[in-house]
Amino acid sequence: MSGPMTMGVDAGSRQVKIVIGAGRQITFNAMIDTVQFYLTCRDGGGDSRDIVSSRVIDITRLAQLTGAPRWTRVVSTGYGRNNVAVAGGRAIPEIMAHAAGAVSQTGLNEFTLVDLGGQDTKVISVRNGMVDDFVMNDKCAAGSGRYLENIAMALGASLDMLGQCWHDPVKLSNTCAIFGESEVVGLVSDGASVESILAGANSSVVARLTPMIRRYRPKVIVATGGVAKNMAVRKLLEMETGVEVITPAEPQLNGAIGCVMA
Amino acid sequence: MCRTWPVINLFDRPGYISIAPPHPGSLPYLPQYAIEWRLTLLAQAVFDIHEKNGRAPRRPDQALSRTRAVYLNKIGITTTIPAEIVFAAGATPVDLNNVFITDMKRSEYVEQAEVEGFPRTICGWIKGMYSACLDHKIPKVIAVTGGDCSNTHVLMEIYRMRGVETIPFNYPYGRGRDSMESELALLRDSLGASEEASERWRIHLNRIRRKLDIVDQMTWQDGRVTGFENHLLLVSSSDFDGNPYSFEAKIDRFLEEVQQRREINAPVRLGMIGIPPIMEGLHQFMEESGAHCVYNEVARQFTMPFGGDTLAEQYLAYTYPYQIGPRIDDISAQIERRNIDGIVHYVQSFCHRQMEDLIFRERMDIPILTIEGDAPRAIDARTKIRLESFIRMIAQRKGAVV
Repeated sequence: MSGPMTMGVDAGSRQVKIVIGAGRQITFNAMIDTVQFYLTCRDGGGDSRDIVSSRVIDITRLAQLTGAPRWTRVVSTGYGRNNVAVAGGRAIPEIMAHAAGAVSQTGLNEFTLVDLGGQDTKVISVRNGMVDDFVMNDKCAAGSGRYLENIAMALGASLDMLGQCWHDPVKLSNTCAIFGESEVVGLVSDGASVESILAGANSSVVARLTPMIRRYRPKVIVATGGVAKNMAVRKLLEMETGVEVITPAEPQLNGAIGCVMA
Repeated sequence: MCRTWPVINLFDRPGYISIAPPHPGSLPYLPQYAIEWRLTLLAQAVFDIHEKNGRAPRRPDQALSRTRAVYLNKIGITTTIPAEIVFAAGATPVDLNNVFITDMKRSEYVEQAEVEGFPRTICGWIKGMYSACLDHKIPKVIAVTGGDCSNTHVLMEIYRMRGVETIPFNYPYGRGRDSMESELALLRDSLGASEEASERWRIHLNRIRRKLDIVDQMTWQDGRVTGFENHLLLVSSSDFDGNPYSFEAKIDRFLEEVQQRREINAPVRLGMIGIPPIMEGLHQFMEESGAHCVYNEVARQFTMPFGGDTLAEQYLAYTYPYQIGPRIDDISAQIERRNIDGIVHYVQSFCHRQMEDLIFRERMDIPILTIEGDAPRAIDARTKIRLESFIRMIAQRKGAVV
């Protein structure tokens, strides 16, 4: 084992991911709900009315909550990093954390990283192991994990089932995470099968991703984030781009692993 | 009771002073207007007599401001237009974008326009300009119908419906000299400005514009002016803050003050291209994140950096309203000259200029970050993530630490 034990915290919009490790060796990981994280781990706890102190995260409480072992330094990233500071920690931009995580997990130096998160999508071009360029989706949750969750929930389908559906997709015109639901209801009443609607949702996510990816003319795509666990999205992505899609061992912890590497 | 405001012709110069009350025909004849109006005429007359005798006061608007004539003479503008002609007509150009964005009620302005029926999917600048113009009771607007945005065409219609007089100004798409001459003549005629007076104002304003060149140089070469200060001063040259004399004095004071400063030493040098951002704190956040913004493309263009011997030449050299080619040439030259590491392209939600991003990315070989703004509020967490990742990415490439 090399270097000090580092805690990497990736405060995402839906889940907070925590990883402890040294170098490439990860010894502990945990995930907690983002809202629960802010309510219980803010300095002063959930009762704090002092906005300034409530913007600092009490890392000891976070460790107690997740049962994390000892660490010597903390590096954090994620959506909330401009609003919330981890006490005694260093904060790095998400793009840097995800690129570092993917380089470490795949051992590759040249690839296009697609991070499919709960509420946003990032496409990062990595060259020589460094960020060369990146693009992020616009301000809505269209084409994100939240959208897929909503559609699956509206149809009473599990996320496992969602990940199996890529055949015969119906065309979904509305990728808005909210309006998409009512479109799904309409399709069910028209007699479309649940599988084809789920395939349609997966396919609409890929359709939104493809123009963001194409600008980097990738040779290899590395997919991370919670949505990368969805096999249908990975398959559709491969079919659409004609490029091999690699998923590292821990796609959802990738940002937190990147923090440990930084 | 007199409800129609007459046009007064002074010294047989038709339309030289044609002052309308804030809403022509819509207000009763109020005595205070009448008093202010006569004082305005008096001040104008004093200046005119001096001018006729070749002894024009060095600061012709001094007398006018004393009588609050400036208020009665305000002419709104929707983007940079030949301000020289407006001043030559004895009026005061007021950039409606600046009125909107500097008002504490800027957010309410956008909401107010939406309440009145402006769609959500229309640019925030248009909605802000609409409400700001009515709220500040600006009676007349010069609207740019060619070279800016087609939303302005309908904005003009709505202004007219609300009793605001509108004057069109068109930057000729083909960038022809004759077309530009005739556009300038049309504007002079509609405002009642003479060619000679416009030329005098060109020379006068040019002196101030060249002082802004020094501000710009102090930004990228000497590193004593921040990107935000550069933006604020340069962008103000669309209307010279409505008072060229106090504006010039402001620049003089500023230039004196910055001499004492220490040089900004940031590891990353950025340039901003695209229309002025509607969101707050963009420049400041760049600076906090370790970047010095050394170039504000459109604000610099407002200062007419290429000059020109006539008004026509000056406004033909101005790159913003025409095709994108010369704009890219200008930007590329400045990237080289100012040693810029990366470009932040600001685009406005629902603006046709968002499409230009595609062209910039294809034709310019430099890292570009596109930032989109919608409403006048502080920059959000997502924009911050993008900006600091971009700055960090460039620093990493340069082997610098931010």
